[in-house]
Amino acid sequence: MAEISFPLPDLGEGLIEATVLEWLVSPGEQVERNQPLVEVETTKSAVELPSPQAGKVVRIHGGPGDKINVGEPLIVFEVPDNTAGIVGTVPTEEAPKRRVRLSAVLDED
Amino acid sequence: MSNSILESGTTNEPASTTVMSMQQALNRALDEVLAENRKAVVFGEDCGRLGGVFRITDGLQAKHGAQRVFDTPLAESGILGLSVGLAMAGFHPIPEVQFDGFAYPAINQIVCQIARMNYRSRGTMPMPITLRVPSFGGIRAPEHHGESLEALFAHVPGLKVVSPSNPHEAYHLLKYAATRPDPVIFMEPKSRYWQKAEVDIARHEADGGAPTGAKIMREGRHLTLVAWGAMVSRCLQVAELAAEDGIDVEVLDLRWLKPIDAAALAASVRKTRRAVVVHEAPLTSGLGAEVAQLITQHCFDTLKAPVERVTGFDVPYPSGDLEDEYIPNIDRILFGIQRVLEYKRG
Repeated sequence: MAEISFPLPDLGEGLIEATVLEWLVSPGEQVERNQPLVEVETTKSAVELPSPQAGKVVRIHGGPGDKINVGEPLIVFEVPDNTAGIVGTVPTEEAPKRRVRLSAVLDED
Repeated sequence: MSNSILESGTTNEPASTTVMSMQQALNRALDEVLAENRKAVVFGEDCGRLGGVFRITDGLQAKHGAQRVFDTPLAESGILGLSVGLAMAGFHPIPEVQFDGFAYPAINQIVCQIARMNYRSRGTMPMPITLRVPSFGGIRAPEHHGESLEALFAHVPGLKVVSPSNPHEAYHLLKYAATRPDPVIFMEPKSRYWQKAEVDIARHEADGGAPTGAKIMREGRHLTLVAWGAMVSRCLQVAELAAEDGIDVEVLDLRWLKPIDAAALAASVRKTRRAVVVHEAPLTSGLGAEVAQLITQHCFDTLKAPVERVTGFDVPYPSGDLEDEYIPNIDRILFGIQRVLEYKRG
């Protein structure tokens, strides 16, 4: 398994930090992409940050009231080695489905 | 040129056969190329420390050193420009452009330098560069991460273009491409990276030859499906479904998109007398047009219907949510087959 760290992004234009209000996930939890992770407050607004990816939460940084600088680690995920860092989603193999049936009289001339 | 894969998958499995994903097959091929050729160097965005966003270069920097497997700045023109200089200095660069759509900023280096340096220098400056490009769609990625550039590259004199369809092909085609004296655009079907299949490490082809030309992946009598990359496995699924309806479909994996194995195309369609070509790229001026023309030229007298094309649409590659509407699906390919089957002359 590989660990992927997600740093606090710039949530506005040129913001340098944010204050953690409440964590919505905890270490050990399996999260989905876009699932709300944490509520933070900046000098502009309070926002919920969606998860950039699916994975198991290994560590979270900062408790309620703590300031985190933009670019510093916010959360660390554990993901399978062969999907660490990928852009996009690993496709699932599905049994082939069809709606179209072929009909033809094959003249074998 | 074309040899059936059927016989290698049925009886007397040689001891060298092992099951792996395309990721693992490509990683192993690169590892072996680096070990066998001291002039080989592997580089690109995130290729070194991270091991590539798709793990294709995983562990190679630790094993072969940061001078031979290294990270580059986020600048494709620089990655390919560096490749030109390294090749001029006698190296065998194996650069990676992280995604298909990121090749555009390096078109100048690819078309104006890499493709023609050998010609321009009257053979004194060959460009033995293997450019790996994770290609095509199917992974719900953002813009510029799902494009099919084969026609663009195939149109440029001096470039060779190849795309593997499964782990076995990936392993052997990459090892073969890396020994070529000419630049090869190596298009990896990223949606197939994780699917596992048997790889016969010791043997390229059933007859032991080099992996050149096209390859029949399934034999059939009534119609030839021509495909490459990720569309080959989809066409194999379609062939199984068509068999339920009594239609015996042959699937030809083109593999090399430049040069195209016209002899194998002609041999297959002379037998089946019907052909459908399938690709993810947009229809207009796609490689399917070239394939259709080659079939028409070589098989005009025996064809029972015009060659059909089942392709992506003439639109920018859509966002992930619409991907399944864009990439040829099973029903669209079956419709293409049906149009050919029911064609009437005159």
